Amino acid sequence: MSRLSFLRGIFLRRLSGLIAAIVVTMIVFTSINAFFLTPINLIGLVRSMSTFTIVAFGETLVLVSGELDLSVGATYGIAAMSFGLLWMHGTPLAVALVAGLLVGVLIGVINAWITTVIRVPSFITTLGMLSLVQGVSFLISNSQSINPPSKLPGYAVFEALGSLELPFGIPIQIAWLAAVAALIAFLLHGTLFGFRLAAIGGNLQAARVAALPIRRYKVWVFAIAGACAALAGILDFSFIGSTTPNAGANLTFPVFAAVIIGGASLSGGRGTVLGTLIGAFFLSLLSNGLSLLGVGTFAQLIFVGLVTIGAVALDRWTTTWGGQTQSLQI
Amino acid sequence: MLGIAGPNGAGKSTLVRILGGEETPDAGEILLDGATWSVADRRGSVATVHQEPQLFPNLTVTENLLLKRGSGGPLRPRATGRELQVLSELNLQRVADRPLESCSLVVWQLTEIGRALLRDARLFLFDEPNSALTDEESEQLFGHILRMREETNRIVILVSHRLRELVHYCDRVAVVREGACGAILAGAALSEEGLARELVVGQEAGLSKSAAVGAGGPAGDEVLLRLAGWTHRRRRFRDVEVVLRPGEILTVMGVEGSGARELLQSVAGLEPAHGVREVAGRRNADAIDALLAYVPADRRTGLFPNFSIAANLTARLGIPAVASRWGRLLTARLYALGRQLMAQFQIKGRSARQAVDTLSGGNQQKVAVGSASAKQPRLVVIEEPTRGVDLGTKAEIYHQLRQYARDGNAVLAYCTEVPEVFDLAQRVRVMSRGHLSESFEVADAGSVQDLAAQLAKMTESGPRAFRA
Repeated sequence: MSRLSFLRGIFLRRLSGLIAAIVVTMIVFTSINAFFLTPINLIGLVRSMSTFTIVAFGETLVLVSGELDLSVGATYGIAAMSFGLLWMHGTPLAVALVAGLLVGVLIGVINAWITTVIRVPSFITTLGMLSLVQGVSFLISNSQSINPPSKLPGYAVFEALGSLELPFGIPIQIAWLAAVAALIAFLLHGTLFGFRLAAIGGNLQAARVAALPIRRYKVWVFAIAGACAALAGILDFSFIGSTTPNAGANLTFPVFAAVIIGGASLSGGRGTVLGTLIGAFFLSLLSNGLSLLGVGTFAQLIFVGLVTIGAVALDRWTTTWGGQTQSLQI
Repeated sequence: MLGIAGPNGAGKSTLVRILGGEETPDAGEILLDGATWSVADRRGSVATVHQEPQLFPNLTVTENLLLKRGSGGPLRPRATGRELQVLSELNLQRVADRPLESCSLVVWQLTEIGRALLRDARLFLFDEPNSALTDEESEQLFGHILRMREETNRIVILVSHRLRELVHYCDRVAVVREGACGAILAGAALSEEGLARELVVGQEAGLSKSAAVGAGGPAGDEVLLRLAGWTHRRRRFRDVEVVLRPGEILTVMGVEGSGARELLQSVAGLEPAHGVREVAGRRNADAIDALLAYVPADRRTGLFPNFSIAANLTARLGIPAVASRWGRLLTARLYALGRQLMAQFQIKGRSARQAVDTLSGGNQQKVAVGSASAKQPRLVVIEEPTRGVDLGTKAEIYHQLRQYARDGNAVLAYCTEVPEVFDLAQRVRVMSRGHLSESFEVADAGSVQDLAAQLAKMTESGPRAFRA
């Protein structure tokens, strides 16, 4: 019971609302197109959401700490690009992989440094970093996509990272999703780190009064968010087999939508891994179902936008209506 | 003028919100001049001056006054006769064009009163308007409130915790207990003692000092806090020397802007200052953080609103109190500890898992004090230990702090009220214009009045006397 203590009160109510919405959506889609509920479609759906959800997990930590990271999309792109370039220029695969992840960590640390030491709000810092990193990505790649030839040493391993099929037809990306979810969930809900992080995000001044290690924690949070984005970028690179300098440019919307629909607060102190996971699932479900129905891309964009706003509005309304008597976090 | 008093959580603020139309009553009606008074009527004719003024800090005093006015066309409104008159009535001309955020709290309160006056309200509700003001400032404030009462056809209601004010300014005082009116005192029955007795009905703790002050003076040679040549970076205080030993409670008094607040915050490492700061012989900032716990004056800066009571109480703890050696959070232990602290500090909530922001103000203050002492520091630095807290809770907090000092620790407190110093401290020092006076033994004063006189003398003698 104690381990699930974050799953109570209004959070439970919010999640149950979200799950109800998911069930209703699934029934509607299935009744129109029976293919929707087949294992093949559902597995494909979860696979397609896995990488942006990994990015969203990192973002959840950032939001809980009371900051924002808009640069995760660009980090996703440059991590894949720098890994690919290093590898194609003769660096051993393992070293290039680590370097790719470290690029993400480095961007996170720089974000954190500018935010906590120079005190530029993280919104501005990471907005600038988004553009800066994209620029660097174009610079190092000469504005060209890269497409590693299959005779490169270690190509089989590279390919397996993102497209291996595990027993029971489960794509490896789903396993990555589960592993990162478990790791971040433990970090956020099961450790002193997560406890203090929620405190820092909930009231920065009180955290200062309590002499909590604010700067150190924020550095960790941005670094983890960078690493998550880098991992997702590399996994998608492996799955697709090529990457472009502006990969990840469209990631900002699904990442933030998933985190916010999942119950994290933009003002900090609130957010859970399970919520983000379910939020991401809901979003993917909508896109997938709408594609199956043959709804055009424009209509899909409009619909998903409406649902995102609607979900949060509905939540506001039920929160006010239901009264807030239980604490969300811990 | 009607006063309303009552312990924390008795329902004073709810009553004020209902009268102001901010909350709907479950049942019953409000009669004014014999007729039912609806929410719509009330919104127009009730003016509430809140404990924390609800104003626009980015606008000037005048602009704040103009905001409530109806339409004056599409142009930016300008102050006309009526506003200028209110400004001069309240002595606000001097600061009229300054942004509110750069003004002192008394200006905020006066601006709220000004807005109320401009609305031609029928009923004026003052919800602890001076809980954050110094004595001088609140006298100034009450001067204005009394003048308002002179005008006919106005109802003035004052909610306060300060008995002296209730007795001094009000014609009648209603004591609210557990959501009902417990007693109404008027005339000869309206005295501080009488009120104090009504307020503690059904509460264990008394206010008498004798019960607890057994707190011995300094014990041993150990020095828990030593400041030498301690100077604020922006010169809010200079060359402060303090020595605090185990068992001691030292209070610092001083008006707003005297530098007393900054002194306490700098001891906690939250304001920049230089000189010698030694806590239990340690000078390293991290070591001091581990030995010292600071409680701010404003509850909102001390609590985590997204956390439960238990999580707030244990937020300053770490390994091994609530986490394993590897940093795994031990939730069961956290809640057990939280429950234990809740009982120790007599925090009245439904459960340890209740969100802290659903507690009443006094209970929130107890959580703030509890979370500081949960860390078991050697030195507690506390600003206004009982701001906005009722009598029973006050006594409990004093008791906790004294008990804590008796266990071989020390307390450094900033107080704005003389009775608080009298009840709490062994020594008091006065900060005026950045200089800290010599210390005065509270026991040498026979009564609160004596102490007040003594403190006034210490303040008046000013910086020159201390510099010599």
